[in-house]
Amino acid sequence: MRTVLTERRLEPGTGKAIELLAGQILRIEQVEGGQCVDFNAFNLHDYKEFMHCGRTRTVHGFNPSQGMFLWSQPPRERAMLYILADTYGRNDVLFPRCSGYLYESAYGFDAHTNCHDIQAEAQREYGLTPDDVHDSFNLFMNTEVSMDGRATITRQTSQAGDYIDLLALVDTLAVPNVCGADIMRTSNFGLKPIQITIFEATAEDLDAVPKTPILRSQRTPADFRQPTIKADRELRRDTAYRPQFTNVPIIHQPIAIDLSAEEAALFDAVKLPQYGDDDAQALRDIVFTWWEERYLTGASGAPAIGD
Amino acid sequence: MPTRTVVLKLNQQQLELLDRTIGGGAAPDRVSLIKLALREYAERHGK
Repeated sequence: MRTVLTERRLEPGTGKAIELLAGQILRIEQVEGGQCVDFNAFNLHDYKEFMHCGRTRTVHGFNPSQGMFLWSQPPRERAMLYILADTYGRNDVLFPRCSGYLYESAYGFDAHTNCHDIQAEAQREYGLTPDDVHDSFNLFMNTEVSMDGRATITRQTSQAGDYIDLLALVDTLAVPNVCGADIMRTSNFGLKPIQITIFEATAEDLDAVPKTPILRSQRTPADFRQPTIKADRELRRDTAYRPQFTNVPIIHQPIAIDLSAEEAALFDAVKLPQYGDDDAQALRDIVFTWWEERYLTGASGAPAIGD
Repeated sequence: MPTRTVVLKLNQQQLELLDRTIGGGAAPDRVSLIKLALREYAERHGK
């Protein structure tokens, strides 16, 4: 049985920064149904590490749901939160937060509730600035990708009592807000309250989280060549800077491959026409495409997170 | 008898991946691995 630590109601137009410690669960719940919630998350002890929608969508796709993680940005690249439960199952990491610019440019508002400004106002309680608001994990948001490659928002059907449970894997500043879009389909043209509950996770909850790799490439400020957070706004060149890019210089080495008549015929049958007469590029493509198909466990370009 | 020679140009990172794959037992050397890749790729993608 979970212990309830706190409960609160998020009223329309508002958000709240919440200290969510590792092992605690944030439940975000529909009160009336049909309400989108935008969500930001920061490492509570180092705000420069935050939830990264780009990394999350390469691992889990455009609509993360139950059984998936919310990842922080490279080079931290840790699982920050785990989606323990999701009764509605439609969330989005394609769309950015709505903003004042959106409502002014498209609708003519001088002022309108919008997720960027709501997030900024909630984050201000912890000393963050409007520039610190990051791409949001959009809960209870139905989105689609059209054939021409554009993302679109559709109406949603979440009901009163639908909820998503986010289990913190690290100490987090979690910031949900009631999406400010009342003149779009996002929340079916309305603004409704949202119920927030913090639970202490049970041993069973914690046991439900799959293990993720701990790798050398997951770096922290202790590993950075520049570990100090820049505290002024002007950008100035460091005259002592000497580049130290990884594995540079890139040096190519020739490898001669003698093809038999049979191998040459195979090669000619499958090489990609885009390389024309450049057999070296065509064979290189075949070799690394073969490698991807044989050895990659995730999608191309996505980190592997299994054991 | 070779009928055609293709000269691949691979950088140190690409070679590292191939060498680790060889270390895993996929093939005895780079040339063999590349020929294995060609055969298996052709089986999968050949018309």
